[in-house]
Amino acid sequence: MSFLYFLINGISLGSIYAIIALGYTMVYGISKMLNFAHGDVIMVGAYICFFSLTRFNLPPLVAVAAAMLVCMVLGMTIEKLAYKPLRQATSLAVLITAIGVSYLLQNLALLLFSPNVKVFPSIVGNGKISMGDIVVSHVTIVTIIVCIVIMVGMTLFTGRTKIGKAMRACSEDKAAAQLMGINVDATISVTFIIGSGLAAIAGVLLCSTYPTLVPTTGSMPGIKAFTAAVFGGIGSIPGAFLGGLLLGIIEIFAKAYISTQISDAIVFAVLIIVLLVKPTGLLGKKTREKV
Amino acid sequence: MGIILKVENINVYYGNIHAIKDVSFEVNEGEIVTLIGANGAGKSSSLNTITGLLRSRTGSIEFDGENISHTPAHKIVSKGLALVPEGRRIFQQMTVKENLDMGAYTGRDGFDDRLAEVYERFPRLKEREKQIAGTLSGGEQQMLAMGRALMSSPKLLMLDEPSMGLAPILVEQIFDIISSLHKAGTTILLVEQNAQAALAVANRGYVLETGRIVTSGTGRELLNSAAIKKAYLGG
Ligand SMILES: Nc1ncnc2c1ncn2[C@@H]1O[C@H](COP(=O)(O)OP(=O)(O)OP(=O)(O)O)[C@@H](O)[C@H]1O
Ligand SMILES: [Mg+2]
Repeated sequence: MSFLYFLINGISLGSIYAIIALGYTMVYGISKMLNFAHGDVIMVGAYICFFSLTRFNLPPLVAVAAAMLVCMVLGMTIEKLAYKPLRQATSLAVLITAIGVSYLLQNLALLLFSPNVKVFPSIVGNGKISMGDIVVSHVTIVTIIVCIVIMVGMTLFTGRTKIGKAMRACSEDKAAAQLMGINVDATISVTFIIGSGLAAIAGVLLCSTYPTLVPTTGSMPGIKAFTAAVFGGIGSIPGAFLGGLLLGIIEIFAKAYISTQISDAIVFAVLIIVLLVKPTGLLGKKTREKV
Repeated sequence: MGIILKVENINVYYGNIHAIKDVSFEVNEGEIVTLIGANGAGKSSSLNTITGLLRSRTGSIEFDGENISHTPAHKIVSKGLALVPEGRRIFQQMTVKENLDMGAYTGRDGFDDRLAEVYERFPRLKEREKQIAGTLSGGEQQMLAMGRALMSSPKLLMLDEPSMGLAPILVEQIFDIISSLHKAGTTILLVEQNAQAALAVANRGYVLETGRIVTSGTGRELLNSAAIKKAYLGG
């Protein structure tokens, strides 16, 4: 097994983390809350895709679209019912609510989908291509491409479109945004919808790479993606991508060259070290008021 | 010259703190009206109540013949009412141009013309079009905040302490701009601690003290009033 092989797999895993981290970071940026239920939205997306493929025999793209649609509605509903009433509450109350929503989703999944492991069929089949002396699966390549497309798309979206700019304005200063005529509640809603749609994509890619699907499938990747978002600088979109990619690469290298058992410990140790050296994360910005 | 803004008998609370007490005032079309008062008198609270960021428990706020007491804050600007908030509150991480874009968020018609007008009034902003707003100097940030508000072509422009924290030469420049905006036909409601300068440009003024209006009159009357001189003009 070569260095290059591990690197490509690290980038692929990192791409999944990056897509999840993007949802975390966008939601945090605008609502200053950690949506701990985000990881479980991934799981829901994966189940919807799974049933669309296996039970309803839908074509892969339609199955992904169905997963995205369900997750978007779910994300919007969670925000409306659980978080919006807490807009003025302390961040601790919101955090506890988010953890509650996370458990609620996991337990609903246990009830509806049973705890039995579902073997997820890869969305792009099990083909492989050989590049020189290494063999890479189609899923790995597709994951990396999807991540690049999302990264470019989101950068253009937040930089160029009216709603994207409104999201940035709300992230910075909600009162000032309202004075501009921006409907802050609607903008927060849109952010949750986009984040949840991305979570669905991440769920499908994750389970296409690691095909065991259970109700807790989203937890660990969710926590790691959250780590990636903090690592890159929470609230920063490029930070989410950088953090996600680095985390994936570190994890795969730790597994390959050090130990499978302690790879997660290594990942979190790296996070702690980065935060000690740079508390705002790699690309996190500290804004200072000018008088 | 009709009344464009009529604030009647508003009472605003922060929890148990009664910040605005039975305040009433009005602004006629074409006027500059100033609200002056010391720190904590309730000037910003008054403006924030007009924009819907705060709510009054009583009374009413009428703008351009329409009761806006219950209008959500994000629907105020499209009615023709713009606020340059205290502390500027520009979007620090966005560029100068993007801040101006945000100012025109609700009305894209005639965007280019308005942008040209703002750039003509504040040439510095054009030079700095692509600069991140947070890196502008304090004076430039104030100009950006004013330019951003002007991008909505307001019928009434409200300014909350535009001279705060600026060097004397810049303060003078800001007041010149306010005068010239007024001459160009903009109605202005100006909140200031710098009573001298504010009264000098204003047609009329109201003096707020711990949440109440205690005096009102023309700019000249207030400038010459002994009580005002003593309390706000340093002698
Ligand atoms: N968010 C808040 N929570 C509690 N009390 C507040 C809040 N904002 C203002 N107040 C109180 O309301 C009163 C009026 O404050 P306001 O900011 O309107 O004064 P101001 O005239 O604008 O003062 P300044 O010139 O210092 O800006 C003050 O007593 C202030 O302490
Ligand atoms: Mg104030």
